[in-house]
Amino acid sequence: MTTDQLSLPEWVEAEGVVAGQHWIQVPRERIRETLTHLKSQGFGSFCMMTAVDHLVTPVAEPGPERFELVYQLRNMSTHTEVRIRVFVPESDPAVPSVHDIFGPANWDERETWDMFGISFGDHPDLTRILMPEDWVGHPLRRDFPVGGEPVDFSEDHETWQTAPEEA
Amino acid sequence: MGVEQLYDLLGENVLTTTIGKLVGWGRANSVWPAQFGLACCAIEMMHTVAPGMDIARFGSEAFRASPRQSDLMIVAGRVSQKMAPVLRQIYDQMPEPKWVISMGACASTGGVFNNYAILQGVDKVVPVDVYVPGCPPRPEDLINALMILQEKIKAQGIKPLI
Amino acid sequence: MNPPEEDQAPNVASQGVTLVRESASPRDHLGGEILTVNFGPQHPSTHGVLRLIVDLDGERVMGVKPVIGYLHTGIEKQMEALRWQQGVVCTDRHDYLSPPINNLAYALAVEQLLGIEAPPRAKVLRVIMSELTRISSHLVWFATSGLELGCQGIFFYCMRERDFILGMNEEISGYRMHTSYIRPGGVMADATPRFLDMLADLIEKMPGHIDEYEDLLTHNPIWIARTKNIGRLPAELAVELGASGPVLRAAGVAWDLRKDRPYSGYEEYDFDVVTAQDADCYARYLVRVGELRQSVRILAQALKKLPGGPFNVDDRKVLPPPREELETSMEAVIHHFKLFTEGYSPPAGDIYQAVESGRGENGCYIVSDGTHKPRRVHFRSASFVHLQALERMAMRQMVADLIAIIGTADTVLGDVDR
Repeated sequence: MTTDQLSLPEWVEAEGVVAGQHWIQVPRERIRETLTHLKSQGFGSFCMMTAVDHLVTPVAEPGPERFELVYQLRNMSTHTEVRIRVFVPESDPAVPSVHDIFGPANWDERETWDMFGISFGDHPDLTRILMPEDWVGHPLRRDFPVGGEPVDFSEDHETWQTAPEEA
Repeated sequence: MGVEQLYDLLGENVLTTTIGKLVGWGRANSVWPAQFGLACCAIEMMHTVAPGMDIARFGSEAFRASPRQSDLMIVAGRVSQKMAPVLRQIYDQMPEPKWVISMGACASTGGVFNNYAILQGVDKVVPVDVYVPGCPPRPEDLINALMILQEKIKAQGIKPLI
Repeated sequence: MNPPEEDQAPNVASQGVTLVRESASPRDHLGGEILTVNFGPQHPSTHGVLRLIVDLDGERVMGVKPVIGYLHTGIEKQMEALRWQQGVVCTDRHDYLSPPINNLAYALAVEQLLGIEAPPRAKVLRVIMSELTRISSHLVWFATSGLELGCQGIFFYCMRERDFILGMNEEISGYRMHTSYIRPGGVMADATPRFLDMLADLIEKMPGHIDEYEDLLTHNPIWIARTKNIGRLPAELAVELGASGPVLRAAGVAWDLRKDRPYSGYEEYDFDVVTAQDADCYARYLVRVGELRQSVRILAQALKKLPGGPFNVDDRKVLPPPREELETSMEAVIHHFKLFTEGYSPPAGDIYQAVESGRGENGCYIVSDGTHKPRRVHFRSASFVHLQALERMAMRQMVADLIAIIGTADTVLGDVDR
């Protein structure tokens, strides 16, 4: 599915295609205008919104900023989709909210706040949605540990081993 | 002179032993679980109620919605950080005598999910009587666990569980 | 919560009874206040650990606030700590009523990044497993919705069929529920002859069973009274709120990802997209019954056209070689070792793949940074979106109707909370 007929606004910073999927990159101040523009072009269905943490690791290439917000829109009459990427710096993780343009973005933004700590201006209820209200930290950031318990193996515990006669 | 001393005095009395056996038999064969299905294991728990496996044959005729009317809590599924206080509250609301079956790998030890979000075993929050491994365990596994629990209940007899 | 706006005239006026004041809510002349009630996370009818904070004016719902997160499992974080092929195990467990369909979304996304395609036999086997799962997921829906609204009998009928389908799952993959059957590159194992016999048996007997369910519910006056005109979500509102699946099709919008964005060979099958016009709970029930029949139709076609050939792509960089080769070929041993210690590394990029599950659009968004573990895996959940629409569907209905509405939205809390 190609989006050749898509007319892009002039503030689009970059665009590309990955495995047949079209994406555009816009500055974060223009996200509301971008989504409104695309909605007027027929992309009226909101598929999903999420964030990616590009924390630098020894093996991975760094992104332009630490956080990348990804919005996926669909045009139900031409059956095409487009992905909008917005890069958000770590020092000021704030983006305008789009919940009034696309209804499903409401809870997606709450989840992104909960999991990544990216705040959305003008969101009516920016509170934790998946973690308990008093949780500290944003779990899906790459520097938040996976957590859990170390797995205990019986070879590390002498008293757990059964003697050969009892086995 | 307390009830415990009375029990010990009457301990050799054959009549008390028979009443103990009767009470144990009665409790074991009418264990009513509370509906505490959390995740995927809950679906297999629904299959034990279904006609193929039919847990009602073993006395668990009614899965009570209210914990106040049930004796057994089958923790079927993974317990998250937000759910753990709720789990404890439901357990506390059950009247004595009560038992807990921890169904599935997630409830017993955290299962596949060794991470920040899942309690690594519900025995951190409630005392467990029988653990059932599996992801999810077959309905026959759950019925087997119930049968093991029934033996345990019969062995406990008349003594209150503190 | 918002204060109630001007009330419509209560139904009693149409029966010829004159009221003291027109458009008066009982609260206006009886006094009283809005009561906030908690449908706690442990509740028999909330389809999982969903908490609802409901504002009631008598029996009328004035506001519903779902509180979720009681089943948050950290699946997305867990998958960042697992290798690409190990992540399939986690995809089973978020929407636990349709594991193979979740596997399929993930597998298709990874395959697109890797630039490989599953062989034809694998595609047909994937369609067979997806449709079997759709049937078993809808059967759970019938069973639990019927149970909540008082029809206890249908639970037993549906579970009987579902046991048979889980037996088929066990035959083909060894697991009843979380099969992890569909993997990037193909499927886990070939269909055994016994599986194909069971499938033929199901195709023959299922239409009769669906007739049984319809006998119990479709013209049942109690069922109709409890689901007709309840929880309406008209088409424009449904599209605006991001609804998909039966919730959207019951409003008359003929959108089905299997037809409109086909994957895994669905364009080669002949089936109808079932829609209804009323957009209420009864319409969603009819859509699901229709989908059961269409799934059986697809299964019959898939069984007939099942081609021979391999069930896995023949790429040793992605899938391990057959075990017999390890005795003779050094290359096979190296591939095996590399795959099971490090795993494959798709090139950097991101893919969003959506598939049609029993609930609606379930999507998988993966981001690869070129290493053997994902940078990010996100699941787009249809239930998450439908729960947001709950308040619009339930406004001003009776509190008992709230149960029917949550039921017909068919939310699976594992999918909502991930």
